[in-house]
Amino acid sequence: MRTCSAIAGRDFRSFFLFPSGYVVIALFLLGNSIVFMGDVFVQGQPATMRSIFDFDVVLLLFLCPAVTMRSVCEERRLGTLELIAASPASTTSFIVGKFLSALASLIVILLPTLVLVMLLEVYGQPDYGEIASGYLGLLLVGSMYLSSGILASVVSGSQTIAYLLSVFFFVLLSLGREALPGWIGPDAWSVIKPFDPFLRMQDFTIGLVDSSNVLFFILLTSWFLLASIAVLETERRS
Amino acid sequence: MESWCGLQATEGQHDGIIVRGLVKRFGRILAVDNLDLDVEPGSVVGFLGHNGAGKTTSMRMICGVLPPTRGSIRVGGHDLQANPSGAAGIIGYLPEGSPLYPELRVLEYLRFRSRLYSLQDPVGSIDRAVDRCGLRDVVTRPIGQLSRGYRQRVGLAAAILHDPAVLVLDEPTSGLDPLQVIEVRQLIEELSEDRTILLSTHVLQEVEAICDRVILLARGRLVAQGDLASLRSEAGMESASLEDLFVSLTAKAFSSGGSVS
Repeated sequence: MRTCSAIAGRDFRSFFLFPSGYVVIALFLLGNSIVFMGDVFVQGQPATMRSIFDFDVVLLLFLCPAVTMRSVCEERRLGTLELIAASPASTTSFIVGKFLSALASLIVILLPTLVLVMLLEVYGQPDYGEIASGYLGLLLVGSMYLSSGILASVVSGSQTIAYLLSVFFFVLLSLGREALPGWIGPDAWSVIKPFDPFLRMQDFTIGLVDSSNVLFFILLTSWFLLASIAVLETERRS
Repeated sequence: MESWCGLQATEGQHDGIIVRGLVKRFGRILAVDNLDLDVEPGSVVGFLGHNGAGKTTSMRMICGVLPPTRGSIRVGGHDLQANPSGAAGIIGYLPEGSPLYPELRVLEYLRFRSRLYSLQDPVGSIDRAVDRCGLRDVVTRPIGQLSRGYRQRVGLAAAILHDPAVLVLDEPTSGLDPLQVIEVRQLIEELSEDRTILLSTHVLQEVEAICDRVILLARGRLVAQGDLASLRSEAGMESASLEDLFVSLTAKAFSSGGSVS
């Protein structure tokens, strides 16, 4: 546990020592502010963050891989992975530490958007239950993006490839869910539909916290992390 | 993997490094071929060989970074395969090029390493390592802004932070200017007072200056091991320079395809 927190702490510290960390935070806040001013902060509109959360699901798809793309392949490039391998830290604590650091970074990315919630409070009466559900959804879907990004960083040799792998996976998934029902028919789609992460996220944005949705994202995140551990362990043993 | 219990009965046990029948294959490439070596506790042993001889691969296996294809490694009384975390706690490793996180300050990096090794007294351990490696003036500076010599010192400080009984140093003076080489060499000599050191190098003067014994590899195989006097005597080259001895032993190994001693 101590080695895990050491790895998470170092990674989290490094996130703020590179301009990319601040660029990600700034881009996220800028995107959110534009949507907020254009779609939410309009007279007569309900005081809700739904359109923000819908937008953030897409925006995080592009920003979360930017957080994780360095995580493992940069250690490999610098040669510091060799030092970690020679230390008492296990592969599991290394990957979990990387994930915890990325999750902490995601929380820091989301925090400034609370200003938008405060503005809603000043000018309207927002439903805090729905907003909390939306943020929970963003954390869960963000965790899924982050863990897949870590897997991409484990399997690829460069940050760019790690970023592209992670982004394209979810872009293809997103495009596929639009086209798939027409190709495979409604019966086959009804079987696949429960595995659609974007559909499950929609429940959170309308304030519906379904335990099956929570479990779905936790399981998917765990799967990506376990796959990362397995790939790295195989690499270490070969 | 051979049973270490069998080796214990025949080879005895010590707190240095004992390697038996070590083999490493990368696909069809045989990087290390049936290597046996002993590094006595408290000694400084130079690991010599041409590029690609298998020095770094062997060192990585001794430090638990790479798993051997076959063979056994015992470091400081710990069987590396049976108790890898126990062995990791008593080995200090400085890989070639001293990989570090350039964005971190020296102190931040040493704190990270102290947490990684779950040290009981991180402040005291960092203080001792900083003083021993002469880093007091640069502890608040980012590692990326340090000279190559200082970065090597940071790598050494990180390697001795947990007070390991065994130090494995892969080309610790590579790429340094002559003044930095002297500084790092002096540091290694100081560190050798109370620990076992295995160091690889291409600088033969370094071996003569600080090593008690040498281990010579060629094509992944052990060519010779022992102190310089006995190697010279065995090769019949009592008055030869270390360069001549190295060339002669390596050439013999290449021509015979095996060990010469």
